[in-house]
Amino acid sequence: MSERHAILRPPALSRWLIHAAVYAIALTMLIPFAWMIATSLKTRGEAISSTPTLLPPGWPWQWQWANYSQAWETANLGRYYINSAVVAIVVTLLAGVHNALAGFALAKMRFTGRKVTFTVLLLVMMLPVQVSFIFAYVICGWLGYVDNYQALIVPFLASAFGIFYMRQAITSVPDDLLDAGRIDGFSDFEIFVYIIVPSIKPAVAALAIFTFIASWNSFFWPLIVIDSNDMATLPLAVASLSSQYYTDSWPVQMAAATIITVPLILVFLLFQRAFVEGITLTGIKG
Amino acid sequence: MNRSQSRNAWAFLAFPLAIIALFVALPSLAGIVLSFFEWSGGGSPRFIGMENYRALAASGPFAPALRNTLIFALVTVPITTGGAFLIAAALNAEWFRGRTTLRTVLFIPTIVSIVAIGFIWRWVLDPSPAGLLNHALEWFGLERSGLPDWLGHGPWGLVTIMGVSIWRSLGFAVVLYLAALGGVPRSMYDAAAVDGATSWQTLWHITWPGVRPMTFFLLITGMIGALQVFDIVLVMIGTSATGWTDVLNLYLYREFTLNRLGYSSALGVIILLLTIIITAIQWRSLGGAEAGA
Repeated sequence: MSERHAILRPPALSRWLIHAAVYAIALTMLIPFAWMIATSLKTRGEAISSTPTLLPPGWPWQWQWANYSQAWETANLGRYYINSAVVAIVVTLLAGVHNALAGFALAKMRFTGRKVTFTVLLLVMMLPVQVSFIFAYVICGWLGYVDNYQALIVPFLASAFGIFYMRQAITSVPDDLLDAGRIDGFSDFEIFVYIIVPSIKPAVAALAIFTFIASWNSFFWPLIVIDSNDMATLPLAVASLSSQYYTDSWPVQMAAATIITVPLILVFLLFQRAFVEGITLTGIKG
Repeated sequence: MNRSQSRNAWAFLAFPLAIIALFVALPSLAGIVLSFFEWSGGGSPRFIGMENYRALAASGPFAPALRNTLIFALVTVPITTGGAFLIAAALNAEWFRGRTTLRTVLFIPTIVSIVAIGFIWRWVLDPSPAGLLNHALEWFGLERSGLPDWLGHGPWGLVTIMGVSIWRSLGFAVVLYLAALGGVPRSMYDAAAVDGATSWQTLWHITWPGVRPMTFFLLITGMIGALQVFDIVLVMIGTSATGWTDVLNLYLYREFTLNRLGYSSALGVIILLLTIIITAIQWRSLGGAEAGA
């Protein structure tokens, strides 16, 4: 990805210390998750033992796999998994298309009001959700969205940040490519589909991962617009698991935490190359 | 100007802009206006001028919530940004081993649901014998009775919130810095080497200025996010946070659940004003225009 710098070569002792420090920090990132998975496979007694072990006692087939089915069934996680997945997938796909089209217009098309539109978008990015959520809620009420999938999907079908991000990425596509397309008789939309999108694939992937993670982990807004149990998303369901049912059942809570965490880590590991490239390409680099 | 291109551009922009106008821009304007009214959600709002702001300033939770929010932002953002720069610079060095793996590991806390993070850390910091941290501190010979209450409402609660928050956002800043480090011209390093600069001098005089726009970006966006701190307090301490663990956004949320919508909006406007003031200060002192952000 980036060029590495051979010149920056401190003495051996410093290199050793730097490695130690960075690896120690990385360990603090890993241990809590290892701890989460280990605890999810222990009995309650083992989990609160005063001499905790990292691995659950016994052989793997003796571990408390039942914690997972207990978390899954008691908290009805299947239903919430579907809610979270439907919302995150629909938002990621549709917002991706809308943000990219709007970013394309702002980056490469000439029209009256382009500067004003871009400036307004930058201002909107600064607005905290705390100022907007009451009337966003009221508007969702008028539209009949409250307590429905629509409330979790429609407001996120485009975003100022997403448009800004796409505009930054598309600006770097050479104008010559677009002109060549126009000479071939492409319409603006065909230029978008056949020239723009293929040239900014990593940025599209990065934005898709951002959007998916944000939607999957979204907490504040669902807390506001979802009242009934049926429509809750995973974070809401798992949060209520801790406050209502299992205040002292750590292993089942950890099983639930593992269940909501695993899909994200998989998505990230699968797409991480595209993700890192996409961040590099967007013009917020130094 | 090409008329059909103008028409197409607006066709591409119409729907996204309508969504943003309907669910962000207009509700924000209405929210600002609402802060001058008393409204419980039903019936019609009653105009009361600055009364919400006056009541807010005089209310018990406001001063500590404001203080804690500012401490949180002013401590976590510089530490996250500075720490991420040092880590990224180390990972970027050609002699560093395991860069790709570490980048992935550092990024994991960023993608994990805040709810799961709350579970894990409450478990690690639990005051009972099972809590991993106090267990470890005891092992090092500290008296259990003298150990801090990591999840209480005292100053240690705020330390916990700040620590977990830094832990969580570090990896994201590292990945962004790695992208920025790739853009620092090689010739700058060659010149430094010719001048006989040590690696620390090079880090300070070449690398750090070289990624200035990214530092600027991270400080500005970090501050905007930090002033809105909410979910990390909710999952670590709970909605009833008081004293050193209350923050503006949590206060706002409690008022919202009590249907005091005008009052809640006034708190939202305070957060917006703080955001604007701090962004403006950073913009001026860091020289936004020359940093090219």
